[in-house]
Amino acid sequence: MSDKIKVVVCSGTACFVMGASDILLLEENLPEDLQGRIELEGANCLGYCKDGANGKAPYVTVNGELISGATVLSVMNKIREIAYA
Amino acid sequence: MSDAQTQSSFIEVAHYQLYKSGQGAGGDTFLSQKNDSDGRVITVLSDGLGSGIKAGVLSTLTATMAMKFVAADMPIQRAAEIIMSTLPVCKERGISYATFTLVDIEPNSTVKIMEYDNPGYVLVRQDTVIEPIKNCASIERKNRKTAPQREAVVYYSDYRSRPGDRLVFFSDGVTQSGMGTKPYPLGWGAVRAQEFILEAVRESPEISARELAKRIVLKAQQLDCYRAKDDITCGVIYFRRPRDLLIMTGPPINPDHDTEMVRVFSSFSGKKIVSGGTTANILSRELGRKVTLNLRNIDPNIPPVSQMDGADLVTEGIITLGRVAEILEQGSRIGATASTERDRENGAGKIVEFLLDSDRITFVVGTRINDAHQDPNMPVELEIRRNIVKRIQMLLAEHYLKEVTIRYL
Repeated sequence: MSDKIKVVVCSGTACFVMGASDILLLEENLPEDLQGRIELEGANCLGYCKDGANGKAPYVTVNGELISGATVLSVMNKIREIAYA
Repeated sequence: MSDAQTQSSFIEVAHYQLYKSGQGAGGDTFLSQKNDSDGRVITVLSDGLGSGIKAGVLSTLTATMAMKFVAADMPIQRAAEIIMSTLPVCKERGISYATFTLVDIEPNSTVKIMEYDNPGYVLVRQDTVIEPIKNCASIERKNRKTAPQREAVVYYSDYRSRPGDRLVFFSDGVTQSGMGTKPYPLGWGAVRAQEFILEAVRESPEISARELAKRIVLKAQQLDCYRAKDDITCGVIYFRRPRDLLIMTGPPINPDHDTEMVRVFSSFSGKKIVSGGTTANILSRELGRKVTLNLRNIDPNIPPVSQMDGADLVTEGIITLGRVAEILEQGSRIGATASTERDRENGAGKIVEFLLDSDRITFVVGTRINDAHQDPNMPVELEIRRNIVKRIQMLLAEHYLKEVTIRYL
């Protein structure tokens, strides 16, 4: 697969305090097999926190797919899922 | 430029001084004060006869008396007479003597200047030197024996200041610098000093009063081959256009007001900061400009900053502003103005730099509350935006003497 997996991390207030600050450092924690496979981007506020139906902060999208209550692990799992699909 | 802006100028008064080489004390005195009662700014530069302590006594007496007398509305001629009769007599020379330049700026921007034996002041307006007409009057000395041979003549002039004006005045250490050297056998001279000032202003049109005074003094010292032959003092008064800063934070309580928020943002003529993710999104949407987050230098405590065309800085809201308040608080306690080292690169440190660099600060605060912030599971204390902004306003006004206005949307 040549296309990079796009990971957008919300860095709004709610997301940042709930753990987005760690996810922004995702590239440093990437296992070898996923290195160079992702394109990490921050967003100043994705706006998901305004609707409880979206779940909890922090929010991350991986190739457009929303992950709520995201952690480095859950984001990594999603990346792996897409990378090896 | 509108008339309203023409009216309100900030008066930056600064001076720079070097003592005569080898002297541990200065013979030039520079004093400045703002009269709280009537808003006048009075500044005096006095050069005492000789150098060192003796000259220091003469110039301190002269400057202090001149300042007090003028502040108390004593006619300057009478003030000058009293000063000259009061000054102690130099044992060696048998005369009592100290020069002065006194600048009295009224709140309506009328500038009155009295000069006695200092080199003439230089008024720079829009890259050129303006020379207001000077009237003169001679001062009677009661005791002729201790008076200098030459008649004492005080020059008066006044003019209405305009924003951007710079008034430069100095002791003869500036004009006589380099005297006796090959390039300037008679010293640097008033004309060349004037040219130097003009060149400095043309080169850096925004040069601060402090920086300009320093440059002039250091140049004079250089001409003296880095060993000042006299005390060298320069004062600069800069009628600066106030530096405006807008901080826009929080979405309006009513989404219908989004357009008003955008209008305020677009029409503001100073520096602009957007503090808040949603706020940035609203502006981005309404203006059709992209906001890009900068992922370099990630700070574990303060969210990263973004860029948007038309904004000087885009940051997250509550956490960043909370830290700004903390930095300002610490700074006011220890009297330091610089943000702490670890905040240098983050959004909070950057906002503080902008704040300290501005004279008038406008906050536009959207009061809509993000429910997600009220979740008791949030690990940090997330304050209500209004409270943080009020805290920042108080700190800026009381400890940093800034003019702060808050507008709620």
